[in-house]
Amino acid sequence: MAAGAAEAAVAAVEEVGSAGQFEELLRLKAKSLLVVHFWAPWAPQCAQMNEVMAELAKELPQVSFVKLEAEGVPEVSEKYEISSVPTFLFFKNSQKIDRLDGAHAPELTKKVQRHASSGSFLPSANEHLKEDLNLRLKKLTHAAPCMLFMKGTPQEPRCGFSKQMVEILHKHNIQFSSFDIFSDEEVRQGLKAYSSWPTYPQLYVSGELIGGLDIIKELEASEELDTICPKAPKLEERLKVLTNKASVMLFMKGNKQELKENGELLPILRGEN
Amino acid sequence: MELSAEYLREKLQRDLEAEHVDTTLNRCSCSFRVLVVSAKFEGKPLLQRHRLVNACLAEELPHIHAFEQKTLTPDQWARERQK
Repeated sequence: MAAGAAEAAVAAVEEVGSAGQFEELLRLKAKSLLVVHFWAPWAPQCAQMNEVMAELAKELPQVSFVKLEAEGVPEVSEKYEISSVPTFLFFKNSQKIDRLDGAHAPELTKKVQRHASSGSFLPSANEHLKEDLNLRLKKLTHAAPCMLFMKGTPQEPRCGFSKQMVEILHKHNIQFSSFDIFSDEEVRQGLKAYSSWPTYPQLYVSGELIGGLDIIKELEASEELDTICPKAPKLEERLKVLTNKASVMLFMKGNKQELKENGELLPILRGEN
Repeated sequence: MELSAEYLREKLQRDLEAEHVDTTLNRCSCSFRVLVVSAKFEGKPLLQRHRLVNACLAEELPHIHAFEQKTLTPDQWARERQK
């Protein structure tokens, strides 16, 4: 009986009831993998996923599993942008390293196993990974003359600040490429450290951080935005460049090798008859 | 950690020797908007000014969900108030 009770206690998933308790937990469990289940009592899938978690807890005693009623602790839910339940967050060293939205038991199992066994406690492996990440971030920030790291995409922004940023860039006809930081947790956290900048969206020009929405708004107000960011070429500009490309320019249908409708003109220009 | 607008205001005022600090709660209890006026911003580009603010609130920022800041020198602020 005693053994059974002990087993039940180990497998039980602790409930986190406040933001303070959550912060404390992050600190306490920094050395191991912490999995947090954001749930709601009215969602039946959450009950099922709790059972899955309990099973995983039995199999992997070195991993900490907790659950948090999303609507009961809104500051934590809002901070991590929990928009639906169940949502699972994975923490190591008090840092969020992964996320799973939805009741996908096999996916949860896979992620837990992967993070539990990943060698983030080996210093040499860590250094190697950090160097690769920095190189990757350097390449990403230089991927285009103007790079926007945002939440979501320009077509579907997933945060108010990112949406405003895209609107300003479009309004000023600025040419930029974008990266959805929701698509890659490693980049999302890594870039914050790389640039010592804690928030998104982040705008880069020639690989250098210009700033976030506040700064872009101030640059817009002081009319400096146009000088700092590259513009998308307007049609008039493109035509000007093209018509001046050579002393004589022929705008035709098809190219010189494949004569089509303007076939009569070419021989004349070439001096043939 | 209890994060109040008052707490942030005092910290910013102290660390940045600010002439004026305004902190307001935005949409929720962990979303803030601040205005800091300080001579320490003189001659510094926007990014550097914002970094100073970020450094001052380094401990608090990870717990703040959304943060907006405006940084002005005393001259800029005087001009803005005249508008």
